[in-house]
Amino acid sequence: MKIKFHKIIAAAALGLTMVALPSCDYLDIEPEKTLPGESVDYTKTEDMYGAVSGCYSEIRAHNMHWIINLLTSIRDGDVWSGRTDDQGDLVAMGNKYQYNSSWWGVNETWRCYFQIIRVCNEALLMLDNFAANITNENDRTTYRSYCGEVRIIRALAYYRLAQFFGNVPILFDNYQDDFTPSTRDVVYEYVLRDLDYAMQNTPKVRPNQMAHVGAFSGYTAEALAAKVYYQMGNYDKVRELTNDIINSGLFELYPDYYQLWKIPGRLCDESLAECQVTDFGMGSGDYVGVDQFFNCAGPTISNDNTVLKSTGGWNFVGYFDSFRDWAIARGETVRATTTFLVGGTTTPSGDYVKPAGNPNNTNVWNGKWYVPLEQFTEGRTTYGSNNNVRILRYADVLLMNAEAKVRLGESGDAPFNEVRTRAKMPTITNVTVDQILDERRMELCCEWGERYADLIRTGKAAEVLGANGWTPDKTYFPIPQTQLDLAPDLLNPPYTSLNH
Amino acid sequence: MKKHIFLFLIALFCSVAGAMAQKTVSGNVADASGEPLIGVSVTLQGSNTGAVTDIDGNYSLANVPSDGVIKFSYFGMASQDIKVDGRSTINVVMKEDNLHLDEVVVIGYGSAKAKDLTSPITTVSGAEITNIPSSSPMGALAGKVPGVNVINSGAPGAGPTVQIRGLGSFTASSPLYVVDGMFYDDINWLNNDDIQDISILKDASAAAIYGVKAANGVVLVTTKKGFKHQAAKITYNGYVGIQKATHLLKMCNSHEYATMLMEANPDAYRTYLEASIANYGGNMSDLSFGADTDWYDELLRTAVITNHNLNISGGSDRATYSLGMSYLYQNGIMKAENDYERLNFRAQVDYEATNWLKVGFNGVFSNSTQNNANSNAWQQAFNLPSILPVYDDKNAATFPEKFASPETVGFTNNFSNPVATAFYNKARNRNYQAMTNFFAEFTIIPQKLDFRTSYGYDYASTRAVNMGIPYYVSNNQHRETSELTKEDSQWNKWVWDNVLTYKDKFGKHGVGAMVGYSMRQDSYHFLKGTAQNVPYENEEWWYLANGNGDTTKAEDNGTRFRSQSIFARLNYDFDSRYLLMFTFRADGSSKYQEKWGYFPSVGAAWNITNEEFMEGQTWADFLKLRASWGMLGNDKVAASDGFASITTGNKASGVFGSLGSGIGVVYPGYYDNSFFSWLRWEKVAETNVGLSYQTLNGRLSAELDWFYRLTTEAVISPSTPIFGNALAGNWGKILNTGFDISLNWNDRVGDFKYYVGANLSTLHNEVKALRGGLQYIIGGRTVNKVGERMNSFYGYEVAGVYQTQAEIDADPIAVANGLEPGDFKYKDQNQDGTIDGNDRVTLGSYLPSVSYGINFGFSIKNFDFAISTYGQAGAKMFNRKRQLRYAQSNYNFDHDQFEHRWTGAGSTNEYPSAKALTKSWNVSSSATASNSYFVESADFFRIQNITLGYSFRNIKMGNYTMPGIRLSLTADRPFSFFSANTFSPELTGTDGVEGWDTQVYPLSSTYTFGVQLDF
Repeated sequence: MKIKFHKIIAAAALGLTMVALPSCDYLDIEPEKTLPGESVDYTKTEDMYGAVSGCYSEIRAHNMHWIINLLTSIRDGDVWSGRTDDQGDLVAMGNKYQYNSSWWGVNETWRCYFQIIRVCNEALLMLDNFAANITNENDRTTYRSYCGEVRIIRALAYYRLAQFFGNVPILFDNYQDDFTPSTRDVVYEYVLRDLDYAMQNTPKVRPNQMAHVGAFSGYTAEALAAKVYYQMGNYDKVRELTNDIINSGLFELYPDYYQLWKIPGRLCDESLAECQVTDFGMGSGDYVGVDQFFNCAGPTISNDNTVLKSTGGWNFVGYFDSFRDWAIARGETVRATTTFLVGGTTTPSGDYVKPAGNPNNTNVWNGKWYVPLEQFTEGRTTYGSNNNVRILRYADVLLMNAEAKVRLGESGDAPFNEVRTRAKMPTITNVTVDQILDERRMELCCEWGERYADLIRTGKAAEVLGANGWTPDKTYFPIPQTQLDLAPDLLNPPYTSLNH
Repeated sequence: MKKHIFLFLIALFCSVAGAMAQKTVSGNVADASGEPLIGVSVTLQGSNTGAVTDIDGNYSLANVPSDGVIKFSYFGMASQDIKVDGRSTINVVMKEDNLHLDEVVVIGYGSAKAKDLTSPITTVSGAEITNIPSSSPMGALAGKVPGVNVINSGAPGAGPTVQIRGLGSFTASSPLYVVDGMFYDDINWLNNDDIQDISILKDASAAAIYGVKAANGVVLVTTKKGFKHQAAKITYNGYVGIQKATHLLKMCNSHEYATMLMEANPDAYRTYLEASIANYGGNMSDLSFGADTDWYDELLRTAVITNHNLNISGGSDRATYSLGMSYLYQNGIMKAENDYERLNFRAQVDYEATNWLKVGFNGVFSNSTQNNANSNAWQQAFNLPSILPVYDDKNAATFPEKFASPETVGFTNNFSNPVATAFYNKARNRNYQAMTNFFAEFTIIPQKLDFRTSYGYDYASTRAVNMGIPYYVSNNQHRETSELTKEDSQWNKWVWDNVLTYKDKFGKHGVGAMVGYSMRQDSYHFLKGTAQNVPYENEEWWYLANGNGDTTKAEDNGTRFRSQSIFARLNYDFDSRYLLMFTFRADGSSKYQEKWGYFPSVGAAWNITNEEFMEGQTWADFLKLRASWGMLGNDKVAASDGFASITTGNKASGVFGSLGSGIGVVYPGYYDNSFFSWLRWEKVAETNVGLSYQTLNGRLSAELDWFYRLTTEAVISPSTPIFGNALAGNWGKILNTGFDISLNWNDRVGDFKYYVGANLSTLHNEVKALRGGLQYIIGGRTVNKVGERMNSFYGYEVAGVYQTQAEIDADPIAVANGLEPGDFKYKDQNQDGTIDGNDRVTLGSYLPSVSYGINFGFSIKNFDFAISTYGQAGAKMFNRKRQLRYAQSNYNFDHDQFEHRWTGAGSTNEYPSAKALTKSWNVSSSATASNSYFVESADFFRIQNITLGYSFRNIKMGNYTMPGIRLSLTADRPFSFFSANTFSPELTGTDGVEGWDTQVYPLSSTYTFGVQLDF
């Protein structure tokens, strides 16, 4: 009897368990927190710009990596890393043209630009998904305009890659498994295809006139296309495109060259492309900025008349004394005081620049990336805080226009002297190509490797940089070892035509 | 008086005796030397009647039938079954159990006798680790168990890294811990004294019952329990001691540092030296300095550790109970707010409510506070030269403390004052954990069929508070406004296990079967808030609400996984000669797209000593051959949910309208993270062949096992080409194979009892396949190359040092790279006349190929002594501390670099010159394009523990006799021997897996005085 009873209890317990054996959907639970990608609602075409906005964030996050700041200008012959104690590879690259393909900075630069390209590729697919839900022609125009913005961003990334590495692979989609590079000129052809699209579809206005203020415009595309032709030596196209920009009458040089680089000059009418940042006008909380892009190049500055009193960065990026001497000998005034942050002196804004602890390091830093302490939002402390990064300027367009005209037998005086006048330099008549190149060397120094590109484009590199060890095989950085480890087909003979 | 209370307790728990009483039996129990044994369990077989021996070894058992059998059992002694045969007095002499064959070993969802096992399971009793001063129980196992690699951490409260039989996963290789049925990732919250025993399931056939979680081995932990028929046993156990860093890494002093710099490049570096002399005194002419700080010495201190445990346990014929309390305090050896304090309570009670129902509960409540040190300070102390003092009153800008600023001597952004880093760090974790378990066990057919259902619930939470107070040391090391960060993490898990167990014997055939069903849910939630400008002077004010509202930010996260499992085990033995075991587990998990996995195993053993032909032989007391095979899973790999996810928020948004002094705004942006693949658990198949052997009356015993475990579908995350994103997939294949050997000898000569033990494991680890035909994957630190060990270091092989200019001129490689004497000469592996990426080779990995432990101990009269050692060989580590010089050439040098540096032709062919150390040819920025100079041997031999004890027995205190007092002195890790330039070659955490020596918290030696009191 007793045994029977507890058997019943046990059987009941067992039975209960079996009942509790839940159905299969016990395991079918959604993962916590993760938003499914499908949650982008492609029918809400008013959200379309989010994908474009995402691409601009990539410029800020990846194009503005501090190491790219250094790498773009390090081979100019006028600029060096500024430090012997840190990043020895950078010194060897800048001063001796010894390239180390295993150095992290080369790989980081590669990765950063291809990340931008990856996100742009993906954004174009997302925009296409929105387009499928578009019913009216107005929205279709907007869609094409947005696609144009994304293509400008992608074109900018490829343009920089080609300048750094020469032949690079073109990724027609993100899942491609052929990494054979294309020649530099094929990459340029692909870049121009994107820019042509943007010139046709994105509004031809100044960036500061765009609906999303400061977004890249049709003229950004046109200026960039002009630069590509410029590198290729197609001066007819350079003249045609720059003429179009100039004749639009929309752009003008910002009168104050010093403030052009400071907070007041952000997105002025001279700007053709800028990477924007914001501190939301607040002294604390989120700062949507460019990481260490400015900070890496900052000397210590101090000014007791300001709230912050002092800030400073990593002391990278120095001008050679020889370059400064050359500029002074030219009689440079406002461009010299703007460009050269000299240790032991006080800036026009009253900030004292602390001299380098070691005079063997540089004592002249890049003033274009310096924000005076008085312009800081109270509470912000990082060197260069809240400043936009200038990417493309009308001054460059004018000088390209002048050079193209001179090379094609016309006078380049008008656009050339517009730049000179703003810089408070005497005008020159019958300007020559060499004079234009000198002007570019001063006006555009430390901006995105313009000087080095000019030396390569004009074949003067061996003459100017040869003494430091430059040879034609040093034109481009080597493909990073890390990338060769991952994709050996990067060593394949490059494609010589755009077959896609 | 106390005694009476416990007798009362026993009486309370005692139930009504069985029927048909006939006689009272009494007697005395003693050991071989005639000493009375207290607490021997005396039970009448087939009934609940039982008793325990008293302080004089006497017992009395009522109502014993004249044909009954009485079982006498005592821990560490061979049990005896004695027929009553009508006697009323039975005196027993218990003998030590040298063979341990009848010892019960905890296996998954059950237990088995040691002699019946078909797989290698090592059991460590709680008593063996109680007095080892480690904050985590696993830390005390170093060198004790062959095949188990325990790598200790020096940070207070931090647990060790544990690897069982090598490394079989690229992503997660820590074992599964099962504490009283509940699954854990570590057991750092338990006190050594909470533990009854630890069973380590090393092979697949034992572990397979835990299915998808068992691939890295399983550690079964049973918390303390009372035993039936045991008088209340009250024990106090405690120690106090000090910890001290032993192997201080010797750095260059100011003079040596200056000598290095002046040799390297006087023009570039003399200004730093001159600045130091200008500020703090000294003389450039003989390179003497007023400032000469030993930064490690400034950071380190001698720290206290103390641990106190109080336990009471016992049992009647129907109930058992155990209660305990433990308190641990460990101060950190870094001079900072750095310590660990833990208070644990524990309770267990089992009660046989009826003869068919047993119920019980056990719980462990743990409460700890951990003040974490900022480990960056260790690397900073390596980097910052001694030419700066700790404090500098002249430095007006610094506040609140007058720390010296590296800027004073011209050092910029890469230098920090490590003492300030340590000082301004306030990071505290408060941890609460409650593990509970309730069970009911039904006897359906007595002795044969049982059903057990148990529910375990565990709640754990960590409240982390980090207060950044405003301070200024230098432009690089400062905080403008206070910043408070609070993080609340909560883990909730429950498991419901239902197990039906059957065992029976038919003639020579013994069978056992177990089927079970289990449901689990694990969830984790995390909430973090930060705010700036929180008043910081008083800890009571540390609330986010007191900060600036504009700066307040919150983020959260969470996971929830469910699983259900069905498992079964089938045992069969024939005549105790042939043993067979099958297990099977089907695991369903919500974590992966593919929900169900199936994990079978089989094991067989042959007890040769039970064969007829072995009768009468004397060379073996016990000999068993074992073989097993099983499949396991590793579900610690990340769940890729198969969702393409998008990134949103400020980081994915562009800024617009930052025009002039206008205020820009973000346009909410997003981008697609479309890099994903469908991940599954990793699979491990393991074969184990072994033998157990005992001879010379159990004085010599040996265990030998060979294993071959192959991980397939290992998750590896090679970078995608071009973009360099890590893309995880189940692509890898890893082999671990080797031997585990242990040998033990124990004997007694009169009063002198002693033992000697040795264990050794070998490991061959090899990457068998990566993704497709891919031959190698280079990570940031190491390479995984097919045919080589996992996580191998990668770089150039140093062939020597260029000695003369003539040697340079004759070598095109040296000419092409602009080298000079004192620079490294690399081996041109492919002999193509250049040194490039193709000349890199693997340079070893952190996995040891051999690890071993030797133990020895003796006792004579009241003295006991034990020593244990631990060592490893064949492992390498990467001296990241030195390699970081790539980023800053005038970091300090360690003394070894100074002492052995190249100073001219013929001085050395192994060390570079001072100048060479400042050049990127010799010090590469990339760890995987570095060279063999930075890869050092991680081999070590260590005296793990020395303990000397003295016991007093039966001390009369008035009319109360105290059973025992033991006093002991322990030296934990007193001596270590290794050649690497490091604090310790034991590297833990994610850095440790890859043997990366950077900001490792130094291990210390601990010296304690311990007391054990039995009441």
